[in-house]
Amino acid sequence: MSRKSKRVCVDVGGTFTDCLVMDETGFLQKFKASTTPSDPSQGFMDAMRKAARFYKLSEKEFIGQIEVLVHGTTLATNTLLTGRGAKTGMLTTKNFRDILEIRRAIKPVNVSLYNMFIPPNRPLIPRCRRLGIDERTLYTGEITTPLDERETAGAVGALKDQGVESIAVCFLHSYINPANERRAAAICNEVAPDIFVTTSHETLPVWREFERFNTTAVGAYVGPRVARYLTSLEGVLKDSGFTGTFLMMLANGLVQDIRECIHRPVFLLHSGPAAAPSGAIHLGRSLGEEALLSVDMGGTSFDVCMVNRGEVPTTTEHWDCDQRIAIKMVDIASIGAGGGSMAKMDTLGLLRVGPESAGADPGPACYGRGTDATVTDANLLLGYVPADYFLGGEMKVDIEASRRSMRPLAERLEIGESDVAEAIFRTVNANMADKITEVSTKRGHDVRDCVMIAGGGGGPIHAGFIAESLGIRKVVVPPVAALYSAFGMFAMDIGQDYARSYVGRAADIDLDSLNVVYDQLEAEALASFKRHGVSAKKVSLKRSIDMRYVGQFHEVEIDMAGGRLTAKKVEAAVAAFGRKHEELFTFKMPWKPVEILTLRLKATTANAPFALPSVGKGGKDPKAALKRRRTCRFKGRDVDTPVYDGEKVLAGNVIHGPAVIEETTTTVVIPEAFVCSVDKFKNYILTRR
Amino acid sequence: MTKISKISKPKIDATTVATVWHSMQTICWEMRHLVDRTAQNYLIGQLHDLSVGIWGADGATIAVPVGLPVQFLGTTFAVQDLVKKFEGNIHPGDVFLTNDPYHGGHNCHLPDWGFFRPIFYKGELLFFTLCRGHQMDTGGSFPGGYFPNGYDIHAEGICIPPTKVWDRGRERTDVVDLILNNVRFPDGVRIDLQAMIGATVMCEKRLTALLDAYGKGTVLACVDEMLKRTERAVREEIRKIPDGVYKAEAATDDDGTVLDEQVWVRVEITVKGDEMTLDFSESDGQRKGFINSVYAATYGNAIAAAILYLDPALADYHNQGTMSAIKVVAPSGSVTNCQYPHTVGASPVNVGNQIMESVVEALSKAVPHRAVAAWGKHRGDYVFAVDPRNGERYVRTSFDYDGSGGAAWGFDGYQGSSSFTALGAAHRGNVEEMEVRIPWRMLKYEFVADFTGAGRWRGGPGIHWEAVNEGSAGQMATGSSDGDEVMGCGVVGGLPSPVCRTYLRRDGEDIRVKPHRLVPVHEGDILIKHSSGGGGAGNPAERDPAMVLEDVENELVSVQAARDVYKVVIDARTLQIDQAATAALRSRK
Repeated sequence: MSRKSKRVCVDVGGTFTDCLVMDETGFLQKFKASTTPSDPSQGFMDAMRKAARFYKLSEKEFIGQIEVLVHGTTLATNTLLTGRGAKTGMLTTKNFRDILEIRRAIKPVNVSLYNMFIPPNRPLIPRCRRLGIDERTLYTGEITTPLDERETAGAVGALKDQGVESIAVCFLHSYINPANERRAAAICNEVAPDIFVTTSHETLPVWREFERFNTTAVGAYVGPRVARYLTSLEGVLKDSGFTGTFLMMLANGLVQDIRECIHRPVFLLHSGPAAAPSGAIHLGRSLGEEALLSVDMGGTSFDVCMVNRGEVPTTTEHWDCDQRIAIKMVDIASIGAGGGSMAKMDTLGLLRVGPESAGADPGPACYGRGTDATVTDANLLLGYVPADYFLGGEMKVDIEASRRSMRPLAERLEIGESDVAEAIFRTVNANMADKITEVSTKRGHDVRDCVMIAGGGGGPIHAGFIAESLGIRKVVVPPVAALYSAFGMFAMDIGQDYARSYVGRAADIDLDSLNVVYDQLEAEALASFKRHGVSAKKVSLKRSIDMRYVGQFHEVEIDMAGGRLTAKKVEAAVAAFGRKHEELFTFKMPWKPVEILTLRLKATTANAPFALPSVGKGGKDPKAALKRRRTCRFKGRDVDTPVYDGEKVLAGNVIHGPAVIEETTTTVVIPEAFVCSVDKFKNYILTRR
Repeated sequence: MTKISKISKPKIDATTVATVWHSMQTICWEMRHLVDRTAQNYLIGQLHDLSVGIWGADGATIAVPVGLPVQFLGTTFAVQDLVKKFEGNIHPGDVFLTNDPYHGGHNCHLPDWGFFRPIFYKGELLFFTLCRGHQMDTGGSFPGGYFPNGYDIHAEGICIPPTKVWDRGRERTDVVDLILNNVRFPDGVRIDLQAMIGATVMCEKRLTALLDAYGKGTVLACVDEMLKRTERAVREEIRKIPDGVYKAEAATDDDGTVLDEQVWVRVEITVKGDEMTLDFSESDGQRKGFINSVYAATYGNAIAAAILYLDPALADYHNQGTMSAIKVVAPSGSVTNCQYPHTVGASPVNVGNQIMESVVEALSKAVPHRAVAAWGKHRGDYVFAVDPRNGERYVRTSFDYDGSGGAAWGFDGYQGSSSFTALGAAHRGNVEEMEVRIPWRMLKYEFVADFTGAGRWRGGPGIHWEAVNEGSAGQMATGSSDGDEVMGCGVVGGLPSPVCRTYLRRDGEDIRVKPHRLVPVHEGDILIKHSSGGGGAGNPAERDPAMVLEDVENELVSVQAARDVYKVVIDARTLQIDQAATAALRSRK
């Protein structure tokens, strides 16, 4: 059977490779394989084989049936965070080679001003590999000094001699006129065709050179590794008979053809987690909820994203550790809070949990290799996580090791080991709750009006408690919680993002030229979809415009009407800007003129309809699913708690907290204050009593 | 002061304390974020010349995670005087504005306008929040507020004593108009007032939500606990410092009026048990020139410098608890406690910088393993002229031409950090943004080799900044720059930061411009600033040779300096360390 009938989403995470397949019936099937860090394409193909076996097909048959493959990977993020990127060089405007290092004098983000004891910034490209080239473009686009081609060739040669694998070309004002950057990139390709080249105007064609250069440097740094992986994966798939469309999940929550993103690798940061909010939106829609809080708690980090009215929020203010990344990214806030987060005492005598993580190795104390108390150890001691059914029984854990790990803290705090476990549990929950507050309140939303969607291995354990502390009334744990990002890739619309700088005052804007720019962006978008076989009819185009009051430094993105723009439509956008400004910042200034900075277009085509497998209908009483009873600790008391088997739960069951539901990939803990009802897709819906 | 109130309160668990604590810190960060996103003044919107915080109704410092020490660590005094002055006339929805160093304002200099909002809960005044930032103009003889030779404080700009500008949720428009009528660029300043008041509105909303969530009793008990825990930890830290008296002094090049005569700040630090006293009594007397610091400003800078010597793990948690263990003494009439009507324009930087330098140098003798060297001097200048592209007046201000941070024991100085007195809270701009905004074209913005304090850990690199004036002729005030004569200190054997220079290149000739001057700028003038990095920490001859080699490879240290200063012999051609020659050189006494 060669008919292309399957859509597949694969998310390669740090520990697991998650794969979701939608077949001709429209149902989703879940597959999980271990990630293979040295060559992630192996784990990728393992997951493919598992899926093929399920459908009773050969690997080739299965892969041949894939119509669309969407792929998210942590490779770029991990390359950056672990410092294993390429040896990178930079060609930049002469006399400005230290922009990357001077930065904007920003100490590492979140380092207190009262702390001097921090390592100096180590730019991804050291000074000796940042070479100045005689060239200069002005802010008007005028080139006052053409590129010195001979000097450029010499510099590329010198970098090549140093063993550089990747070059970032970063010239001043290239966002307005990229001619010199283009020519320099061409010379790189002529002189050293094996070197990976990326330019600042392709990466982020907007002004403010530190942000643009640093973003480009990050791309250059992760680029070769990402390109090698993608090229190799593409080859392996092709050899296995893949002929479908291969789309990569991007940081901005949109996708791009694999070929097109190899030259803009920075967009593959957070590929994976960026999809999660789309999953939340899908679930929210089916539940009739609009204000959502998507949370994803894994082994090392807790990701949170506030989703309102079906919109995935984005930001251009992102930092990854010491690196400023200014492309538009899905606005996911992260903190170091996960199953592996370690507990310790600080000098104030307060218990701190995270951000340091025991990771997978040594891992929590109960794995038998480490001795530090972690969140997972606490969860084990509190009875929330079963020692005999850890990952569905695949993994043996040692609860006594967990207990031992609590002892040093118990002595310092002069409390019992279970009390320490509970303190760790409450502290990490408070950290996560804090992050949620920051993300929701920053947007002026009352978190209590939100429904929390809990994903990740740890999310379903902690979500109820976090919700309780924040006053959130409803928590939903989807059946795909443990494959949360892969699910998001399914649920999202396939889309791409386009932007162009356009500076002018709204009151006397030249409507013709404004229309020309939007027309160009739209033509570009439709051409790209056409290449993937999507007709213009199926593409929806959404315009937006960045505005600010004249004099301000930051813009607010406002929806812009479609079709031919008129003065009236621009006025409406200006009025909308005022309202949004007030909503975000508590005030507006109608007497001030408004200026336009960037025109944006988002082109999307709707996701293919799909469904989650449903479960049988049962009564309210869940007793048929009761697996056992176990002592769990809630608010300082040991409570004899019913434990239910997730495989036996039926639609319509109502489970009163305190209770635990054991799934193979996670555990759902229902605090005392919540009642859990099960819907027909086996969403666990926890509602405050 | 450490007790917010004396009524007995429920015992609060540590988790709740931590949660309330972090919530208050987060609120402050959000306040700054709001101003970032909405202000129009380059200094506060982009460069963070801005401070925000939360204080108790009694003035106790509760949350001060982000700001410039000189702008807000001495706010206790202002809150206390404000409460006294407006007794019976403080209501929910009020906003008070002051920029006055005197008359109960306790402010460092006139351009820094502070908006205070009382925060009530169920009719009871519990907290104050402050948002203070450097305005683009504050009136006075020249734009910017950093010019020398003002006759008295009134010549430096409009003096706004604590004044109610919003009354029960309504702007007192006539009062605001009176104020704005006395500054240049009133339209721009009005945006910034909105932004800063907006930040205080946000703070009120968030604090009210926090009080709703936990209850007043619990929140106040948490605050009490926060202050106690900090005080306990800080006193424990001070106890670890050997008892004794530690002295140091630092000077600014001159006071801007009496030229080329240095002005000295001298500190005597007494550590006894778990208390520390910073005594500035031996400093020079207040001056005719504009480098005088009021007590609250001295207090903020001095406390911040001392805090650097406490466990960095406490860095996020300083509050009134810290301050109750550290006393700051500055006699009335001293340059560190000037009196009305003395001018103060340059004082946040000069002598603010000297206050910090003297404290870090003195404490480096007490706690060498936490030694912090001086940073490169602030190299600011203000240019005011006309932009021919739109015919509008502009003021150019920035931190871009500063050098870099000083070393701390164990770490090289941070690159590009601007002005010690901002401790890294202030930011630089972008070249592209500057060229779009004002008629100056950048010619060079790069590190300079061998232009920082050497040491086992060296200062961050010095910077060469150069730009050409493509606008009209105008004037330039080098009021906030310093360091042409006096070097910033190195510590524990580290070398001081080298002297700096400013030149105007006109018709091919370099004209030197000293700090604290007001000079004309012509069309086509090229402004050149050589701004050194900070001081070093530890003996440079003990620097790891591999780090010296890396600096040589990066052209931050010359082969010559590697040999002469760091005692590391490197072959200029192969860039290899000559181990034998290095060992021989280093063993020589």
